[in-house]
Amino acid sequence: MAWLHTWFGLALGLVLMVVFFFGSLSVFDREIDRWAIPDTRFEPQPMPSFDKMLTPIFKEMQPDAAARAMTAPLADGPLPATFDTPRSWGAYTTHRDPVLALFASYEVPNAKDHETAIWALRTVDPRTGELLPVDRLKIGSEFFYPLHYSLTLDWKNVGYWIVGFSALMMLMALVTGVIMHRKIFRELFTFRPNKSTQRSMLDLHNLTGVVALPFHFFFAFTGLVIFAYIYFPITHTQLTPLHDRHEVLESKETGLPHDRAGVAAPIASVDAMVAEAQRRWAAKGMAGDVGFLNLTHVGDANGYVSVYRAGTDRVQLAGEGIHFKAATGELLREDPPPTVVARINEFLTGLHLQHFKHWLLRWLYVLGGLSGAACIATGLFFFVEKRKRQHARQGVSGARVVDALAVTVVTGMLVATLSMLIANRLLPDAMPAGWPLRGAMEKYLFWASWAVAGVHAWWRTAAVAEGRLAPAWREQCLAIAVLAMTAPVLNWITTGDHLLHTIGSGYWPVAGADLFMLAGAALAVLAARKLQQRAARPLAVKNVTLEAGHA
Amino acid sequence: MPDALLLLLALLSCVAGMGWFALSMDVHWSQVQGKAPHSPALVKALRLGGAGALLLSLVLCLTVDSPSIAVLVWFMALAGATLAIAFTLTWRASILGMLVFWTGPGAR
Repeated sequence: MAWLHTWFGLALGLVLMVVFFFGSLSVFDREIDRWAIPDTRFEPQPMPSFDKMLTPIFKEMQPDAAARAMTAPLADGPLPATFDTPRSWGAYTTHRDPVLALFASYEVPNAKDHETAIWALRTVDPRTGELLPVDRLKIGSEFFYPLHYSLTLDWKNVGYWIVGFSALMMLMALVTGVIMHRKIFRELFTFRPNKSTQRSMLDLHNLTGVVALPFHFFFAFTGLVIFAYIYFPITHTQLTPLHDRHEVLESKETGLPHDRAGVAAPIASVDAMVAEAQRRWAAKGMAGDVGFLNLTHVGDANGYVSVYRAGTDRVQLAGEGIHFKAATGELLREDPPPTVVARINEFLTGLHLQHFKHWLLRWLYVLGGLSGAACIATGLFFFVEKRKRQHARQGVSGARVVDALAVTVVTGMLVATLSMLIANRLLPDAMPAGWPLRGAMEKYLFWASWAVAGVHAWWRTAAVAEGRLAPAWREQCLAIAVLAMTAPVLNWITTGDHLLHTIGSGYWPVAGADLFMLAGAALAVLAARKLQQRAARPLAVKNVTLEAGHA
Repeated sequence: MPDALLLLLALLSCVAGMGWFALSMDVHWSQVQGKAPHSPALVKALRLGGAGALLLSLVLCLTVDSPSIAVLVWFMALAGATLAIAFTLTWRASILGMLVFWTGPGAR
C-alpha cells in the first residue's frame, strides 16, 4: 500500500501538479483572457442578434492555415481554395465572456472519410460585430485550461490519457493515503513547522490532502467522467457500425435530420427562434440567457437550429435544448427531462466545469485546487527529505533527480506561467513577417522559460547529492517574486490599467489577476527568506522516526 | 439580509465550529489555553458547539443558494475553515482563545 502511494505518487505527482495548478487557474480562465487581451476588457455581453450581426460574419468565415494544414492529410489531393458547404455554425458564450466565440465547420469535398469536417474559428465583439485578430491567444481559456486536462499534447489524445491515468491513480493515492495516515480526525488540525523538515512536510501533506478530501476525490472522479468518451472509445473503435446506426435511429426518433437533403433552403429568423426558446424556458420557471446556439446543415432544407440555455443558476450542466426547423422556424423538438443517469451526469460534469454564477464558490475551488497542488508538492519534498542523507551517504543520485524534477514542476511552472504573461505584454502588436503568430510566440516562450527553469533546477540541486538543501528553490522563489511584480507593472505601462484604476472602477477580472500575482510575489519573497534561514542553519542530525507506513 | 452577508456569516460560523472542534482536543487546547482546566463537560460542550456551528453554516448556505450549490459551498467552506484553524494554531494559537473567552485567559 505504502509502496503504491509513494511510487505512483512520485511518478504521477509531477503530472498532477500541472493539472492542479492549471486547473486552479482555469477557474478564472475568462478573467485571465481579459488580462491577456486588453481589447476585450469590458463587461460580459448577452448573445447578440444572430440575423443582423452573426449571419454576415459566418458567411465570410473560412478555415485558417493551421486548420488547413491539419486537414490536408485527410483529403485526396490538394484542398479547395475555399470551402462552400458549411455543415454547422455555432456561437458560444458564458456569463463571464465579453466576447463571443464563433465556430463553423465545412464539408471537405475530397475527404477520404465523408464525415471529415474542417473548422474555422473566430471571436467577435458582440457590441460592434468587430472581429478579434486571429493571432490573439486567449491565454486562460485556450492555453491554461487545455494544459489542465490534456497537457496540450494533442497527438493521438496522448495528453488526455496521461491526465486520465493520473486522475485514476490519484483516486488510489487518496484511498491508500487515508489508510496510511490513520489519524484523520485526531490530527486534522496538526501542522508543526518547527519540527524536522520531514515531519512538517508530512503534516502539511496530510493537512492539505485531508481538509479538501471531498474536493480532491470528486474532481479526480468527475474529470474522468467528463472524458469517459475518450477513455472508453468503443463507439469509434470496435462498435463503429453500431454507433453509426444508432445515430441514424436517434435522429429519426428526435426528428432532427441526420443528413442534408441536398435541397437549398433559406434560413428564417434565428432571433425569433431564440425568443421563442426563451419564452419556453421562462414558462418552465427557468428563464435565462442563451449560452450556445448551433445551426446544423446550414443552408439546406434539412437544416435545424438548436438553442441551449446558459446554466448559471444551478450546478447541473443542463442545456434544456430547443430545436427549430431552420427554413421555417417551426419547433422540431424540446429536449425531454433528463433520465436519472443523465441527471447525475449533468450534476457531476457541472460540478467540475462550474458554469454557475457564484464568486465565493469559484474562490473556494481555487483554494481546493491549490491545496491539492500543495499536497503533491509536499509529498515530493517529503520523498526527498526522507532519502537525501541516505542517498548522499551511498553516493546515489535518486533524491537529487527527484528534487530537480520537483523544482521544475513546482517553482519552474510558476516561472513559465509568469514569463508567458510578461511575454504577452512585451511582444509587438503584430509579429514581423516570417515569425510565428503572436499567440504561438507566447506558447513557445512559455515552454522555453520552463525549459530554462528545468536546467537551472538540475544545475542548482547539486547540494541535495550532499544531503543539503538545494539553492534552486530559493533562487526560483526570488525569480517568481520578480516576475510576479513585473507582470502587473507591465500591464499598467502597456494598457494604463493600474490597480487603483481597476479597483476604483470595480473591474475585477484584471484587478483580481494583478492582485493574485502580487500576493504570489509576497509569498515567494517570504518563502525565499525562510529557505535562506533554513540553509544557514546547521544540518539537523537527529532523525525523527515517522510512522512506519510512510515508506 | 443580503446574500453576501449571509455567506460571510456562514464562513465565520464554519471557522468557529472548526475552532471549537479543535479546542475540544487536548493537544490544541493546551496550545491555546496552556494548563487551564479542560474538563470533560467542557469538551462535550465544545463538541456540541462545533457541531451546532457547522450545522448553522449549512443552514445559512441553504438560505442563499439552491441546495446543489449550497452543499458545494459548505463542503469547500469546511476545507477553508479547517486550514484557517490549523494555520492559526501554528502561527498565533492564542487568537483562538476568543472562542472560549468565558473560561478566562489561558494559564501557562
